[in-house]
Amino acid sequence: MVYCFADNVMSPLGVTTAENYQALREGCSALTSYASYSGRSEDDYVASRFTEQQRQQLMISGLTWFESLVYHSVNRALKDCCIDISSHRILFIVSTTKANIDHISSADYNSLQPAESAKRIASLLGLTIQPLVVCNACISGVAALVTAQRMLENGCYDTAIVVGCDVISHFVVSGFQSLKALSPEPCRPFDIERLGLNLGEAAATMILSVNKPETVSWQIVRGAIRNDGYHITSPSPKGEGCASVIKHVTEGIASDTLSAVNVHGTATMYNDQMESKAIESSGLSDIPINTLKGYYGHTLGASGILETIITMHSVSHGELLATLGFSEIGVSGKVNISSKPVSVSKRSFVKIISGFGGCNAAVYINASNDSEDFRVGKICDYSVTHSVNITPHSVIVDEKQIETDIAAGNILAEVYKRHIGSYPKFYKMDRLSQLGFVASELLLNQEHPRLQHCADRAVVLFNHTSSLWVDREYARSIVLGDDYFPSPSLFVYTLPNIVCGEIAVRNGYHAETSFYILPFKNEDMMHRVLTSTFLDHSIQSILAGWIDYVDESHFEAELKLIVKK
Amino acid sequence: MEDLILELKKKIIESLNLEEMTPDDINADDALFGDGLGLDSIDALELIVLMEKDYGIKLASPAEGKAIFKSIRTIAEYVSNHRTK
Repeated sequence: MVYCFADNVMSPLGVTTAENYQALREGCSALTSYASYSGRSEDDYVASRFTEQQRQQLMISGLTWFESLVYHSVNRALKDCCIDISSHRILFIVSTTKANIDHISSADYNSLQPAESAKRIASLLGLTIQPLVVCNACISGVAALVTAQRMLENGCYDTAIVVGCDVISHFVVSGFQSLKALSPEPCRPFDIERLGLNLGEAAATMILSVNKPETVSWQIVRGAIRNDGYHITSPSPKGEGCASVIKHVTEGIASDTLSAVNVHGTATMYNDQMESKAIESSGLSDIPINTLKGYYGHTLGASGILETIITMHSVSHGELLATLGFSEIGVSGKVNISSKPVSVSKRSFVKIISGFGGCNAAVYINASNDSEDFRVGKICDYSVTHSVNITPHSVIVDEKQIETDIAAGNILAEVYKRHIGSYPKFYKMDRLSQLGFVASELLLNQEHPRLQHCADRAVVLFNHTSSLWVDREYARSIVLGDDYFPSPSLFVYTLPNIVCGEIAVRNGYHAETSFYILPFKNEDMMHRVLTSTFLDHSIQSILAGWIDYVDESHFEAELKLIVKK
Repeated sequence: MEDLILELKKKIIESLNLEEMTPDDINADDALFGDGLGLDSIDALELIVLMEKDYGIKLASPAEGKAIFKSIRTIAEYVSNHRTK
């Protein structure tokens, strides 16, 4: 359990949490129609975007638009609390799906990649520590809160600054359009006539601490991340993964003490249906639920943090905001959702979220006066049982080099054919996923018996260059011209956490899957993340390590299987 | 029609990265999704792109493509009736 000290929401509806909350109470939505990037009217879209005037006011010279938003949001949150920002015991987490992807065609894009960007923002804020980027598709925001809470409980840090942000770009809009996921009109979550989601840009920050504040504050009591192990983009129809995170965070809590569940509610056919099933199977059908997508759209990396903050403030005011866009129920699971605000009396709620890569996350948050004090969790050490290392020059499994034809060109395909085989999906994957797949197969084949279909093995991977290789491939498919056909199968892989999803689907792993981006291969940071991951007591082993793919001559997988001692 | 079927098989193998398959491995009447060729929802989206790119046929959603994408033969029939290029 950790305390929420300060927060900020920066969106087209306002630059402070209070401004945002006031706008939402008045029923304002930031969703507006925009002309397409492609010039084709069928690609026009509805989104929540800052106006040109707001953008000019917020843009900081020397920073990109994404970086400016992150900087402003963190800076405003920091103003509300006294923190020694030069301290080494501060954890700085940035949650984003695509960061500066709107600059992918720029010559210095290397310096704009997520971790480099986070480093630049950290230094401008006066922070002296290395940032950690959480890149877990749509669940990134909640995943970042879970990571922060566990790393504080692990005793490594006193304070965590957790900021989530994504901006609207041609890259992301065309990608979601290629997936046929965007609604041509303002979204209608959980409604019978829902047509899909809208995208939104925003930044949101939460400052978490192990020190109890003088006034009553909200606390993140518990969090969880679980994978469906079902498909890399379609959620499991019965929502088992989502139900599993709800079960974990509400364990031991009587459902009549919960005031609400703030759901993901993107307004896609599959997401809302799946969430309704998960809510029902968790026995929460009577608890009021809402979703904020009708006000902000899906703000991707910001969404989990932004929606948690807004729900904290609304529950503090004794109400749950109306689900804007909803009118007639269009899901088969029984849920208590309303197009009007609902009064609530309890001071606790659950935030849930699900995303590509098959991942689901939840946090249980409360503001009770008699809560227990912060205490450091039981530190878990681990031992390495097997390891694998793949580079363009060698393939080493448990310290033995295995036979490969290095000169074969695509070494990953060569290793797949010679040592793995019978999984045709391999050829559909991007290079990062192929690398992760081959490395994980070689690693898991060392295990006797090989563990499959289980709920206690996590997949936690790190890298530096995110999904750069496939980002460039996808960007080529959206160069305007006669041959303008954004590729859905490439776009899916531009979320680097898909590699975790591929491994979870292949092996039937239903525990946590997480993807982190670091400024460099920081062994200390990786060790801290892994030991804190074991604070989730259901996890007994982790398929963990470094996996980076730049191009054919620059890649590395250093994976290991670690088991809790 | 047989020429179009062969052409479609080749294009589908290429655009869906069915690396280890040849046109002979695919029966024109086999189910493309589910138990047959085992294609999934992302493949369906990629087929929508292929329809537009190569034959000028625009499909708004995978739901609309469901009946068309049953087998190679159903696709061939639809393409020969609706193609604009």
